[in-house]
Amino acid sequence: MLYLGVSVTRTFEGRRWTLPAQVYAAPLELYAGLALTPADLAHELERLHYRRVTQLERPGTYRVNGERIDVALRPARFADETRDAQLLSIYAGAGAIVSLKDAAGHDVPVIRLEPLLIGSIFPSHGEDRIVLTPQEVPPLLPAALKAVEDRRFDSHRGVDPQAILRALWVDARAGQIEQGGSTLTQQLVRSYFLSSRQTLGRKLREAVMAVALDAHFTKDDLMNAYINEIFLGQDGNRAIHGFGLASQFYFGKPLGELDLPEIALLVAVVRGPSYYDPRRHADRVLARRNLVLKELAEQHVVSEADAADAARAPLGVTPRPAGAYYPAYLDFVRRTLRRDYHDEDLTQAGLAIHTSLEPRAQDAAERSLERELARLDHLKKHGGEGLEGAVVVTTPQSGDVIAIVGGRDVGYDGFDRALDARRAMGSLVKPFIYLTALESGRYNAATIVQDQPVDLKLAGGKHWRPENFSRDVNGPVPVVRALAESLNLATVGVGLDLGLPKVAETLARFGLDPPPEQLPAMLLGAVNVTPLEAAQLYNGLANGGFRNPLRAVRAVIGAGGKAVKAFPVQVTQVATPEAVYQLDRLLVEVMDRGTGRAAHAILPAQLVVGGKSGTSSEYRDSWFAGFSGSDLTVVWVGYDDNAPTGFTGSAGALPVWAHIMADLGGSSWSAPRPEGVVDMDIEYGTGLRVLPGCSDDRVTLAMPAGAQVPGKPGCGFSDTASPLSTFLERSERWVHALVH
Amino acid sequence: MRTALILLVAIALSACALHGPLPGTSAAGTAVPAGPQPPTVAPEHPATPPGRPAQMGPAASALLAQAHAQANAGEYVAAGATLERALRIEPDTPLLWVELGRVQLAQGNAAQADAMGRKALALASGDGEAQAAAWTLIAGSLRARGNTAEAVEAERRAAALTAH
Repeated sequence: MLYLGVSVTRTFEGRRWTLPAQVYAAPLELYAGLALTPADLAHELERLHYRRVTQLERPGTYRVNGERIDVALRPARFADETRDAQLLSIYAGAGAIVSLKDAAGHDVPVIRLEPLLIGSIFPSHGEDRIVLTPQEVPPLLPAALKAVEDRRFDSHRGVDPQAILRALWVDARAGQIEQGGSTLTQQLVRSYFLSSRQTLGRKLREAVMAVALDAHFTKDDLMNAYINEIFLGQDGNRAIHGFGLASQFYFGKPLGELDLPEIALLVAVVRGPSYYDPRRHADRVLARRNLVLKELAEQHVVSEADAADAARAPLGVTPRPAGAYYPAYLDFVRRTLRRDYHDEDLTQAGLAIHTSLEPRAQDAAERSLERELARLDHLKKHGGEGLEGAVVVTTPQSGDVIAIVGGRDVGYDGFDRALDARRAMGSLVKPFIYLTALESGRYNAATIVQDQPVDLKLAGGKHWRPENFSRDVNGPVPVVRALAESLNLATVGVGLDLGLPKVAETLARFGLDPPPEQLPAMLLGAVNVTPLEAAQLYNGLANGGFRNPLRAVRAVIGAGGKAVKAFPVQVTQVATPEAVYQLDRLLVEVMDRGTGRAAHAILPAQLVVGGKSGTSSEYRDSWFAGFSGSDLTVVWVGYDDNAPTGFTGSAGALPVWAHIMADLGGSSWSAPRPEGVVDMDIEYGTGLRVLPGCSDDRVTLAMPAGAQVPGKPGCGFSDTASPLSTFLERSERWVHALVH
Repeated sequence: MRTALILLVAIALSACALHGPLPGTSAAGTAVPAGPQPPTVAPEHPATPPGRPAQMGPAASALLAQAHAQANAGEYVAAGATLERALRIEPDTPLLWVELGRVQLAQGNAAQADAMGRKALALASGDGEAQAAAWTLIAGSLRARGNTAEAVEAERRAAALTAH
């Protein structure tokens, strides 16, 4: 028994809570011109659990006064700096922030809200916690714990014989062993050292250990250990330990901001987190909370009036844990970090992980996928099983992954389709074939290609005879139409002309790893990719031919607040700006004239976007990948068992994509046209050069300067070069060079 | 001078209309047909779409100033993080990419500096000043990698753009 006492003291002295890494979303940057309405701003503050008040009190509150919002910002720790609590006034017009001012009335050019905590990386035994220093604990909490759980905590020596006797008396009457009579120290011992099985021998050991601890440590130490250690709830396989995390888990805000009824609720939960689960047994918990309040008043911890007021307050618990639970995104974060960190570093070392996740984009992606899949399910039913889907949203210029949805049950921490569903990319491959064609210098947007039957004899004597989706054969068509309408035969012709190795090499340059198998069927997208890999490929197209490794983690900060590792933006040029610009303009035509045109009914008018649909064989996979000036979104829709969906990319994934892009409220795609590329008017159906007014089928395409395109008869083009026309061309170039 | 040139071209273009319709060229070919060049008409769309901010906004400017202070203090990682904040607000501003490239170069990451210089160039179409800054950065990156001949060429390009 003596040995037990010594060993427990030693263990406790060297105690290190396993501190799971805390994962944060990207902070919202506020600046004049940012497109946020007062309602949006209030929503963002509520997401961070700022409380709306009429008079600003402590940090974590805000006040709305017409178009002016005053915020008492909390202190915040960002990846690159810390900031103290401060007052901020935001003047927001109808559509955007007009100005920001500090407490002294000075203009603030840019300021961040604190990053939203989106989860933690806890070890396999499931213990998750946020450890608090005694200074971070409101004094009401220890007072309330003593009043309700252990009245003689300050005076007893680890065990409380009086309380035990009373508990035995109650137990005898109830006919079973119940919790109770244990001091806070005993509860701490039980949680920290022992399993929860209650036997008499175990009770004895617990008592001995409690006495040993009490002899060696101050009451303040033990109280702080208790506040950080005790079990307060269960969330799937994640065990909520300590009041710091419990406060986030039940109320979504720091413990320091809880008021009397909220603290009383947490104290009520201590007695049995499952029996008194506030989300499942609200009535039961309410009754116990009010019992706690009554006890606090009786022991003069709070006044009778305050307790009575608090007893009238609702529970105030958030409907879902913490309100920000993004398992698919966290999955990506974990996988990113496992390349650089051991599991123990992540689950024990108290790291802060700063990610690229943008809660607004994540919400838009989840909402659109859930709603559109429900609608599509309604159109076609497949053996009782629902359609599934996945979404990845990036910021092309930085490669930041700002949203990931791994399935329609967005809160389900299981199969993550965005990262693990490896499916045929179908026509998503076509832009890379046409990019290869543009790079070769032998093709441009107006080049006529042949949409004609293909019959390839493969090794082994089999024949490959692909068809168009419509089963039609269209004959000679310009490149712009072949891509916009996703014509298979024309594209296969181009791909075979370029050669499979060339096309495979383009895909590899844009990040497909390993490179695809060089089979002819590759040209129609018999290449399996995950939605995340598709996003990597298209990010390079949306970023002008620059590849960025897609990034979920921006920085890892150590427990001491020092940056441990930064993951800066990286770019690699993988294609010429000229070729990618020409291709991107073709992808804009896909949206305006081709398989993406239905999106414009959903998107804001005038928003310029580029994209491509993808449908794999027998409609098993429905894809859409596309970009605005600010965002790239990839959507996959299909069944988990790979059954045909009956939906093309345009029918299945496109509406999901369009709703997400509309909700993101991004800017138009408007890459600057490289020197060496000119705009030219072309007839969509024939590829002939036209002038405004001489064709009702005119598209303006990006063409290499000096591209020679036959003019449409009757449009006023000469087919012979005159000295005058040569002179004109030269002088135009000359002026162009001077003006710019 | 510039007005006169534009006038000259305008006259020339109107002459083009007088050039008269002639029977069209051959319609369908599988590739670009070789042959005489038709007259080029003036581009219908401006090279740079309207609305692109020529000047950095106050938020990005403030962050750029902060990044300069951090870089001057040798805090390159922090300077990079601050520039990334600015780029999230203005991803298409070439000078911010040049600045990020300079921070990379200061940290000895010449290859990234070069790539960021080229990213800036791609965004700087029609903006001589930004192009010059990008070429200067690329020259620095080439020099850092011992590629003197190419560095001199990049410096020449930068100088030519600045002289304009």
